[in-house]
Amino acid sequence: MSIAEAGAAGLRAVPRGLTRGLWVLLVLLAWELVARLSAGAFVIAAPSQILHYAASHAGLLWRAFFTTLWAAARGFFWGNLAGITLALVAVMLPRTERLLATLALLVFCLPLVATGPILRVLYGPGEGPQVTLAALAVYYTTFLPVMVGLRAVPQGWLDLVRSYGRGGLTLLREVRLPAALPYAVAGLQIAAPAAFLGAMVGEFTGAERGLGVLTVRALRALDLPATWTIAVIAAGASVAAFAAIGALGRRLDLAPPEVLLAAPAPRQSRRWAGLANGALALVVTLLLWKGAMEAFGLPQFFAKRPEDVWTYLLTDAAARARLLEALAETLSLALPGYLCGLGAGAGLAMALALAPRLSSAILPLAITLRSIPIVATAPLIVWALGRGAAGTVAVVALMIFFPTLVACRHGLARTPRAVLDVFSVYAASPLRRLLGAQLAAMLPAFFASARMAIPAAILAVTTAEWLATGRGIGALMATVASTSDYNMLWAAIALIGLAAALAHGLVSALERRILARTNPEQLAR
Amino acid sequence: MDRRAGIAEQNRDITLEGVAKRFGTKGRLVEAVAPIDLVLQGGRTTALVGPSGCGKSTLLRLIAGLELPSEGRITIGEETPAELRQRAGLAVAFQDPALLPWRTVAGNVALARSLARMPRDGAAVDDLIRLVGLSGFDRHRPAELSGGMRQRAAIARALAGLPELLLLDEPFGAVDELTRDRLNAELPPLWEARGATAVLVTHSVTEAVRLSDRILVLTPRPARVAADIAVTLPRGPARDPGSDAFRATCAQVLAALREHQLPGSIAAQ
Repeated sequence: MSIAEAGAAGLRAVPRGLTRGLWVLLVLLAWELVARLSAGAFVIAAPSQILHYAASHAGLLWRAFFTTLWAAARGFFWGNLAGITLALVAVMLPRTERLLATLALLVFCLPLVATGPILRVLYGPGEGPQVTLAALAVYYTTFLPVMVGLRAVPQGWLDLVRSYGRGGLTLLREVRLPAALPYAVAGLQIAAPAAFLGAMVGEFTGAERGLGVLTVRALRALDLPATWTIAVIAAGASVAAFAAIGALGRRLDLAPPEVLLAAPAPRQSRRWAGLANGALALVVTLLLWKGAMEAFGLPQFFAKRPEDVWTYLLTDAAARARLLEALAETLSLALPGYLCGLGAGAGLAMALALAPRLSSAILPLAITLRSIPIVATAPLIVWALGRGAAGTVAVVALMIFFPTLVACRHGLARTPRAVLDVFSVYAASPLRRLLGAQLAAMLPAFFASARMAIPAAILAVTTAEWLATGRGIGALMATVASTSDYNMLWAAIALIGLAAALAHGLVSALERRILARTNPEQLAR
Repeated sequence: MDRRAGIAEQNRDITLEGVAKRFGTKGRLVEAVAPIDLVLQGGRTTALVGPSGCGKSTLLRLIAGLELPSEGRITIGEETPAELRQRAGLAVAFQDPALLPWRTVAGNVALARSLARMPRDGAAVDDLIRLVGLSGFDRHRPAELSGGMRQRAAIARALAGLPELLLLDEPFGAVDELTRDRLNAELPPLWEARGATAVLVTHSVTEAVRLSDRILVLTPRPARVAADIAVTLPRGPARDPGSDAFRATCAQVLAALREHQLPGSIAAQ
C-alpha cells in the first residue's frame, strides 16, 4: 500500500459524523470572521454574538419558540388535512378537479401580509390567526403532490382493478392511496417549514408572544444579534422538521415519488374550454367570497364584499392610481426576481449534470436552504443588499431558486436509462447528452416549478416589501391594514389574486405549447 | 353452488357482432379493428396472431370490456363483458405485468383473489408461485425481479382468481426460451381442466400452435380475420414442436401471415 493510499484509507476510516462536524466548524469560523470584518456594515451577526444573545435571553426565546411551534403544529395538521381531503375530492370527482385546483391556487396566492390583519380582526386576540395562516401556508403544497400521486397511476393498474369488475373505492384503497403515500410524504416535508413560516407571519399581526413578535421587535430596534438569533432558530426548527419527515418517509420504506410537482393540466378539447373554465372559477370565487361573508354575518366595515371592491376601484380614482402604481412597482421587482430564480435554479441543475461531482456537495446544502422560512431571511438579505431593487429581487430569486434547482435535478435524473446509453454508445460529450436527451426530460419539472414559483414569488416580494423595503404593494397593504383602510386592503388582495391567476394561466399555456413538442406523453392522462 | 364449478356445461361462447374500434378524433382517426363478426368457442383456447400493431391487443381489451367498441356488440355466453367482470369471471395477463411495486410477489398474486372476492388462501397462492417457477421469490418486490420473472408473477396473478375467461396478452414475451417451453406445457392444464375459455395474443407461431385449439390470423391494421385455422393435433406428444404434424400446422399459419403482410414489408420482400 502506498503512502497516498494509506492516507486515503485513513481519511475514509474517519467517521462521517466527525468529518461533517469539522465542516460545520469551518463554516462557523468563516462566518465569525466575515461578521467581524464587516462589523461596521451592520449586516451580519457573528456566531459568537448569536450565542451570547441566545444565552442571555434563553428563557424568552424558549417560551417564544414553543408558542410558535405549537401554533405551527396545529396549522400543519389542519392545513394538511384540508389539502389531502381536497386532493381526494378532486380525484374521486374528476369533473371538479380544474375548479378545485384553481380555487386552491387563488387562496394560496392570498398575500399573508393582507390576510394576517384581516384574520386578526376576525379572531381577535389569541392564536387563531397564527394557526390559520400556518394552515393556509401548507395546504397547497400538500394538495398538489397528493393529487399527482393519486392520479399518477399507470394504465395497467387501472385495467387490473377494472378487469375484476371492481370500482373506484377498491382502486382508491389498493392502488391510488398506496401510490400517493410517497407523494404525500414529499408534500408534508415541504409543508413543515411552511407551517412555521405561516405561524410567524400570524404573530406579526399582533400576537402577544412567539418568535414572530420577537422578530418585529428586533427589526424595529434594528437589533442585529436578536434578528439573527431568531432567524437561526426558525431556520434550525424548519430544517429539523424537514429532516424528521424525510426520515419518517425512509422509515416507511417508501420509494421516492417519480415526480415531486404537479403534472400540467391536459389540453382542452375545445378551444374556448380554457376560457370557460377560467370564467367559471371567477364566478365561483366571487360567490364563495360573498357567500362566506354573508353566511357568517361579517360586518361590512372590515369584511368587504366583491361589489364593495368593485365600486371602490371604479369611483375612487386616486386610490386606483395609488394601488396600480404600487402593483406596478412590485411587479417590476417580482418579475426579474422570478426569472432570475428560475434561470439560476435550472442553470445550476444543468451545470451539475455536466459536472456531477459537484452535486454531492451542493445538493444537500440546497435542500437544507430550501426549508429556511423567508420571513427569517428576507430582512437579512435586504439589509445586506440595500433597500433598492437588488435586495427585493434577490429575496424573490432566492425563494424560487432552491425548489427549482431540486425539481430540475429530479427531472434531469428522469432521463430514461436506455436513451442515455444510446448517447454513451456514440461517446457523445456531456454537453451533447445534456442538450440532446436530458434537457427534454427536465422541462416538465422546470415548468411545474415555474407554476409553483408564482405564489412563492408573491409571498417573497410582499414579505420583503412589508418587512424591509417599505415600498410596493406589500408595504401598501401593511400601511392600510394599520390604518383600517379595508377598502384598499381588499382591493389589493383582489388585484394580487387576479395577477397570480393570470400569471399562472400564462405559464400553463406556455408549458402546454412547449411540452406538446418536447414531451407529449406528459399531457396525456 | 360454486360459480366456478361446471362452467363447461353452459354456453360460454364469445360472440362478436359487427365489432369495430376507432381511436382518436376527427381528422386523426385510427381504425384499429374493422367491423368483425366472430364466435370464439367457450372452453377452448383461441390464439390471435398477426403483425405488430394490427389490433390484436385492442381486440383482447374489447373482449375484456376495458375498451368499448365503436360499433357492434360483444357477449360472453349471455353476458356482456362488464357483467362478467362484475362477478369476477375474467382475468387478464397484461403484456406489461402491471405489478403493484409496494406489494411482494405473494402479495400481488393474493391481490387477485381479494379483487375476485375470494377468501384468503396462502397455500393456493404458494402453489401458483411455485408453478410459475418463482419459489423463493415470494417475499421479493417486483423491482427486485427480472422482466421475465415479473411476467411470470403476472401470469400467476391472472390464474389466482380462477377465471372462467382468461385473456393472455403476449404473456410469455419476456420469458426465456427454456422457461417458456416449460410454462407452455404446465400452465394450460390449469385452465383447460376447469373448462375455462382462453384467448391468447402472441407473436410466436409455435406457441400459438402449441397452446390453442384454433388460430385466427389477423391482417395489418385495421384488424380483420385473414385466416381461421383449426389446430386438430391432439394434446400430448403430437404437439411436440419436433413432430411433422406440428411443423405442418406452423407452416400453414406462417403462409397465412406472409400472404397478408403489408405490401413492401420485410416479409413480403
